[in-house]
Amino acid sequence: MSSPGTGWEKGSVVAKRERISLGWLVIAAFLLLFLLVPLFLHDPYPLHIFVLVFHFAFLGTAWSLVSMAGQLSLGHAALMGIGGYTSTLLFMEWGVSPWIGMWAGAIACAIIGVVIGYPAFRLRGPYFALTSIAFAEILRIYVENTEVGPFGIPLRAAMGLLVPLRGQAPALFQFDSKEPYYYIALVMMCIAVGLSYLINRSRIGFYLTAIRSDQDAAEALGINSTKYKLIAMAISCALTALGGTFYAQYFRYINPERAMGLGMSIEIALVGVVGGWQTVLGPMIGSILLTPTGELVRAYLGGTYAGLHLLLYGLLLMGVILFLPNGLNDPLVRAFRRLEARVWGRAGGAGGVAPPARPQEKQPQQGERG
Amino acid sequence: MTLELLASAFITGLMLGGLYASVSIGLSLIFGIIRVINFAHGAFLMVSLYASFWLWYFFKLDPYLSIVIIVPLFFLFGYAVQHLLIRPMFVREKALVVEPIGVLLLMAGFDIVLSNLALLFFKSDYRAVISPVASTAVSLGFVDLNLPRLIMFFLSFFIAGALYWLLNYTEMGIAIRSVGQNRDAAALCGVNVYRIYDFTFGIGTAAVALAGAAMVPFYYVNPAMGTSLGVKSFIVVVLGGLGSIPGALIGGLLLGVVESVTAQFVPATSAVIFSFLLFIIVLLTRPKGIMGVLEV
Amino acid sequence: MSLLTIDRLNKRFGGLVAVQDFDLTVEKGEIVGLIGPNGAGKTTLFNLIACFYGPDSGRILFQERSLIGMRPYQICALGIARTFQVTKPFVNNTVLENVMVGAFSRTGSAKAAREKALEMLQVVEFSDRQDVLGQELTTADHKRLELARALATEPKLLLLDEVMAGLNATEKVHLIDLLRRIRNQGITLVVVEHDMRAVMTLCERIVLMHQGRKLVEGSPQEVASDPQAIAAYLGEEYAAA
Repeated sequence: MSSPGTGWEKGSVVAKRERISLGWLVIAAFLLLFLLVPLFLHDPYPLHIFVLVFHFAFLGTAWSLVSMAGQLSLGHAALMGIGGYTSTLLFMEWGVSPWIGMWAGAIACAIIGVVIGYPAFRLRGPYFALTSIAFAEILRIYVENTEVGPFGIPLRAAMGLLVPLRGQAPALFQFDSKEPYYYIALVMMCIAVGLSYLINRSRIGFYLTAIRSDQDAAEALGINSTKYKLIAMAISCALTALGGTFYAQYFRYINPERAMGLGMSIEIALVGVVGGWQTVLGPMIGSILLTPTGELVRAYLGGTYAGLHLLLYGLLLMGVILFLPNGLNDPLVRAFRRLEARVWGRAGGAGGVAPPARPQEKQPQQGERG
Repeated sequence: MTLELLASAFITGLMLGGLYASVSIGLSLIFGIIRVINFAHGAFLMVSLYASFWLWYFFKLDPYLSIVIIVPLFFLFGYAVQHLLIRPMFVREKALVVEPIGVLLLMAGFDIVLSNLALLFFKSDYRAVISPVASTAVSLGFVDLNLPRLIMFFLSFFIAGALYWLLNYTEMGIAIRSVGQNRDAAALCGVNVYRIYDFTFGIGTAAVALAGAAMVPFYYVNPAMGTSLGVKSFIVVVLGGLGSIPGALIGGLLLGVVESVTAQFVPATSAVIFSFLLFIIVLLTRPKGIMGVLEV
Repeated sequence: MSLLTIDRLNKRFGGLVAVQDFDLTVEKGEIVGLIGPNGAGKTTLFNLIACFYGPDSGRILFQERSLIGMRPYQICALGIARTFQVTKPFVNNTVLENVMVGAFSRTGSAKAAREKALEMLQVVEFSDRQDVLGQELTTADHKRLELARALATEPKLLLLDEVMAGLNATEKVHLIDLLRRIRNQGITLVVVEHDMRAVMTLCERIVLMHQGRKLVEGSPQEVASDPQAIAAYLGEEYAAA
């Protein structure tokens, strides 16, 4: 990006070229590292932090799919809550394994997302954000005040749901130790990021970027903008619901305030925004930075200094917006490119977007959006 | 459900509405002119309450008297926030006329920062002022009105009126309105747009701080109180019409009455759901609100 | 069957009458020029054909099929593409990616879209800039980009709104050549332009709009020598053309 201030509205340019030859190696290396960590690390607390990192990376990536459609959602926690509550209630009342129940939640959320998105997408940026907050709050307050919901479903109001303990029960998505959760969260994160990447490169991804940039021009090129925004919304909601089930099964407890609250919505959005809210790797980067920081601060200093970790989050958010509006993704990718250039001994790539003509690079590079 | 009960709920609702209106008018001004949704509005309110409280705590200054200090102080605060935080965003996004999401997130971050700073420094204890005014009640026969709340009700009209006068009968105000209508044209007429933005933000913040000081006699001060009222003020502003000050007044009173009356039929916490539903319905069906002139 | 038939089209915006009782027939393979002073209604007409909004009354038929009530993205599928007077490139994408968006309207495969896009860039002779970002181009480049993008949708009818703006004389000659070649591939063109010499050279038929109405229609010579045309828009200099 040669111009100093890329508008906040616009998606990150550099991120679209994340797929670089060296990049794959690095990603593979990290993946290997993550796979091996539990073999050497047995202390549950650090493992817990890893789980949270993967979990929020997953949620952030799922959330960012709606950002790809150009809308900022600050109510995604509601979807997480619906997913978690659905699978947990199905388990509690009818013994349905959460492995199955989570898909019910995902489908329900996809439908809800489309139903809400259809009218709400007409609203521009900040108004959509406010509407998403309103929806989430309505849901949270409703659940918080309802002991028994429609059809006699016990919602338990503010007390929340305690997932019946079954000890080591893989078929019921419950484990005694942290390691299985670690791997499940890792797999979920990889799936989400992989999905985001594939979408980015495919027709849907191109169309979403076009809609974001200029909806009129996009429509003139045959793009049914409503349809594609809703597709992105449906996928995002479904994934987030799956995250909700994981949350419920990992913590074995879910309540409206924590799972559906504005705080959680903001944490999810924060991870995406700090990392790069319209990029593929951004939310993961954001989670890697924010989650351990926040968690450690909360654990060690939270007693004496309540609210310190949130203060940090707030400052980070402000910092990112003021200085790095497209998140950490861009400068990191740029730095990476400089590194790559030096490693492979090529000219160019330093200090900005990949140079216009790259005859020596592989054919598949050109025109693809990583 | 007697008529008396309903009437009493209505009057209580008006009092509540007065509070909502007072808190929201500043936001409406800021939004109408600068097109910024100040997500930190609730936090500003909270900070002004604390400021007024500490002035009472350390200097025995009655909250109503502290207004003399609070209003100019928060005018400067708002001016600084716009000048230092938001203006760079505008400079960066010169081409955009519609509120960018960046500012929204920036102010959301600021809200988090302020709330948690307050939590860190002041702890989460509820604090209250002990004042003779606080417990005085005015009797209307079928309902007793808490005096500070009654004052707040009238204050909302005062704030609305003062801003109305400012915007229509002072040179600064006319410049502000011109910027709100057409930023570029105003600039061409020699108006320093960014300075107007600074002043407008300052005025809007001063307005909410005024409401905050007047709240101290009857409201518990704690770091979290800003959020719920902040959210309410967004509802009010949308209801009443973005950018319309009389709209914010009417919207606030309306919201207060709706909440108060529905609270007779459903538990109070659930009554909030109605406010949110109203908000969504208005945004989706008549985004301009009751009296708004701006496009959404 | 005419490719495009416009029959008694009317459109007003509040008190402003943008298009009034407008008739037009375009046959396949024609290059029709649409000229007129600013505010004559040319872009409104394009917007109506492209269904950005609907007319108050009248008909628009494309290959005998009514376009009334359709959404813009449906128009593209039928085979109508347009460029914009005030260009609308996708600023955060490269030129190639921009054109690929157009190509995706005919294929779901990224590979096929890329090939099509590269091909279109070659047609408009823009291949050397394919990796340049939209925001780094000049306005004239934007116009060429929009042309390539529109061509990638495999249109039957191409509506070009001031696609020559910002070009020098040589470039215009070049572009006229290109547009003729495009027409020879079987694409019908309706061109809005302000450069009279270019219009007279390129177009076989010219329609002059004035205050929303069709004032004069005919061959370049006919229009150039029409007294009404001269009075309303052309001025005396073009009488000789």
